[in-house]
Amino acid sequence: MLIQAVTAYASFGALVSALFLLFGIDRIDPAARGAYAFRPLLVPGLVLLWPLVMWRWLALTFWPAR
Amino acid sequence: MSARYEAVGWNRSKIVYDAVLIGVILAYYYLFVAIGAATAPIGTPPDGPSLAMQASGSCAFLLLASVLAIGPLVRLDPRLLPFLYNRRHFGVITCAVAAGHAQQVLNWYFAFSPTPSLQAMLFTDTGFDHWPGLPFIPFGIAAFAILVALAATSHDFWLRFLTPPVWKALHMLIYLAFGLVVAHVAFGALQSRSQPLLAVLVTAVSIGLCALHLAAGRKAVLADRVTAQPADTTPWVVATTIDAIGENRGLVVNLPDAEAVAIFRHNGHLSAVSNLCAHQNGPLGEGRVVDGCITCPWHGFQYQLADGCAPAPFTERLATYRLRLDGCNVLLDPVPNPPGTYVAPTALPT
Repeated sequence: MLIQAVTAYASFGALVSALFLLFGIDRIDPAARGAYAFRPLLVPGLVLLWPLVMWRWLALTFWPAR
Repeated sequence: MSARYEAVGWNRSKIVYDAVLIGVILAYYYLFVAIGAATAPIGTPPDGPSLAMQASGSCAFLLLASVLAIGPLVRLDPRLLPFLYNRRHFGVITCAVAAGHAQQVLNWYFAFSPTPSLQAMLFTDTGFDHWPGLPFIPFGIAAFAILVALAATSHDFWLRFLTPPVWKALHMLIYLAFGLVVAHVAFGALQSRSQPLLAVLVTAVSIGLCALHLAAGRKAVLADRVTAQPADTTPWVVATTIDAIGENRGLVVNLPDAEAVAIFRHNGHLSAVSNLCAHQNGPLGEGRVVDGCITCPWHGFQYQLADGCAPAPFTERLATYRLRLDGCNVLLDPVPNPPGTYVAPTALPT
């Protein structure tokens, strides 16, 4: 049960990671525009912290001042 | 922080730092295994896998303790600053060594049953109701999970994405990781009562770390800081006197109920900015003016004196403050300007 839950969490995290690196990061962080070599390094953190990533992604997209 | 992110901002000092660290780790590992095998009781064949696990585990513990010692050591002796500049590399390498230890455990203790090894490790050591024999693996797993989270969020992107306060709070979990590792060792290897040297090592390192942090904290309290005093006119407060600030130096001024301010003296002028570096909240007032820019003592981030902006193409900005002189007293408006606001440096009398 625990293993399945961890697998599901990580799978969804991988999906969020791919979407964020392909479509999100350029819009919320100017320093990421045109920079690609560092992106694979972010994948473990994105998979691990995807709920926090989604929250910050939404916040920075709709309320950039934050 | 780069104007555009790089995978790793390699330079010569970082390459040397990492090479030396990896060399020391490999030397420790092989010496540990070799000495352990050479000193095995006569007639007993050396237990290679156990020795390797002890080598990687003790190495990860010592590395983690070293990472935690760098901060207070630098406060006590600024000559050790190069160790701080590359501390994140140290942390990532520590995580890699811990991963090697976990892999060795999985491949030895949990590799010979029909149950998947990861599942076996998670569910075989769960009883907290008997002594001796308390479970120790969960502490190790929790510590490793923290180390992975910290290593995974060590790139500068995360600092900007999560904001410095959140990133810093997340990375303070390294202290919890250290506590969990101590519990992992105490409930594991030490419960067997057959390893007095390990008990001495863990106790000495833990006490040493506490002593270092206390000594560094004491030095910070006694550091060259002043507290602003009320002035006759609002909104001003008396921050300090002109003579208290050395040329190209900063002075940290504590404000009641507000962030501390750093006042710098350069070329006959005074400027004031937030004392917190936009990178990792380093104490800017303990830094110096280098090439006309405030330079953080922690990682060398620089800011212009007049507007608190990092030189182009960098984009970090600090809050600035208004200053004026009243005789030899330096008055400060404690209300911060928005980050990056230009404030003309206050000219000192010649």
